[in-house]
Amino acid sequence: MNICMQIAVLFFICLLGQSISLVLPFPFPGNIIAMMILFILLLTRVIKPGMIQDFTGFLLANMAFFFVPAGVSILESYPIMKDSLLPIFLVCLISTVITFFVTFATVRLVVIWQRKRHHTKKGA
Amino acid sequence: MREIIESPLFSIAITILGYEIGKWLNKKTNNPLLNPILFDICFVILIMKLLGISLETYNIGGSVINMLLAPATAALAVLMYNQLDALKKNMLPVLIGTSVGAISAMTSIFLMCKLFGLEENITLSLLPKSVTTPIAIEISKQLGGIVPITVAAAVFTGIMGMIICPIFIKLFRMKESVSVGIALGTCSHVSGTSEAVKIGELEGAMAGLSIGFAGIFTVIFSLFFL
Repeated sequence: MNICMQIAVLFFICLLGQSISLVLPFPFPGNIIAMMILFILLLTRVIKPGMIQDFTGFLLANMAFFFVPAGVSILESYPIMKDSLLPIFLVCLISTVITFFVTFATVRLVVIWQRKRHHTKKGA
Repeated sequence: MREIIESPLFSIAITILGYEIGKWLNKKTNNPLLNPILFDICFVILIMKLLGISLETYNIGGSVINMLLAPATAALAVLMYNQLDALKKNMLPVLIGTSVGAISAMTSIFLMCKLFGLEENITLSLLPKSVTTPIAIEISKQLGGIVPITVAAAVFTGIMGMIICPIFIKLFRMKESVSVGIALGTCSHVSGTSEAVKIGELEGAMAGLSIGFAGIFTVIFSLFFL
């Protein structure tokens, strides 16, 4: 597919995601629905990764760049957060550590459980 | 002159310029604190202040860049699809790990915000900050949070994870690849994944998958905070 078609296909998937988001009875972001639609299209081989790789490659390689303008708008919201900078910093720091250890421990347990089950199956 | 400075092309050009300088500095100094996104945000704000460009004017060009967040988020599906084999082999650890991780992130954020007595709208902005920024932005909008605060917190969380997690991994001799990868991707999204890739291939694949799944689970769990 040429690059314009690739852009059109991805935009169409995004619009489809946003349309579904509008009719859903509960709030669910359209962009995430679009991500799930594209994943299903790839799984069912309706779209092959090679067909859209010029545009998706560009998007994925520069992902961080696309949310810079959203970050620049901090100019507007800084007054709201300026008295809470330390607590916000602590929330970010501590929750990251907690999430890291909880996730690690959870996966560790699942892996150990899977191995055990695998062994008993083999033994039987 | 004013017309040139206030052209949407000018906003886009300075945003790209700042990003490239930020990337170059980050590579040169190899310092995770010198993050290209944070640098670019400061760079753009500095130029706006110097030339007297209002946020409203900047956003005419900014919204064009912002628009590409939608297909960029959708493109995360390609990232997940590329790790399909690793996903098939580790379906249960990925699903259980990222869902429990997402719950623990949101619960710990919520409780700490209450503890520190943070305002409601700041709490809502911080709730989704553990997942990849484009998804966090969407959740924040949905919850009624303040998007720029979410962006800052999500980028900052990524940097924290990048600096702290490798220290824990060494200190506690965390070796099991699947657990390390999923934990890194779930707690500090893309930045955590870049660390995981440095440790090993399986770690990187697991972390990459966790970005998408932790994102989806956080979207689902955030429905309970509405």
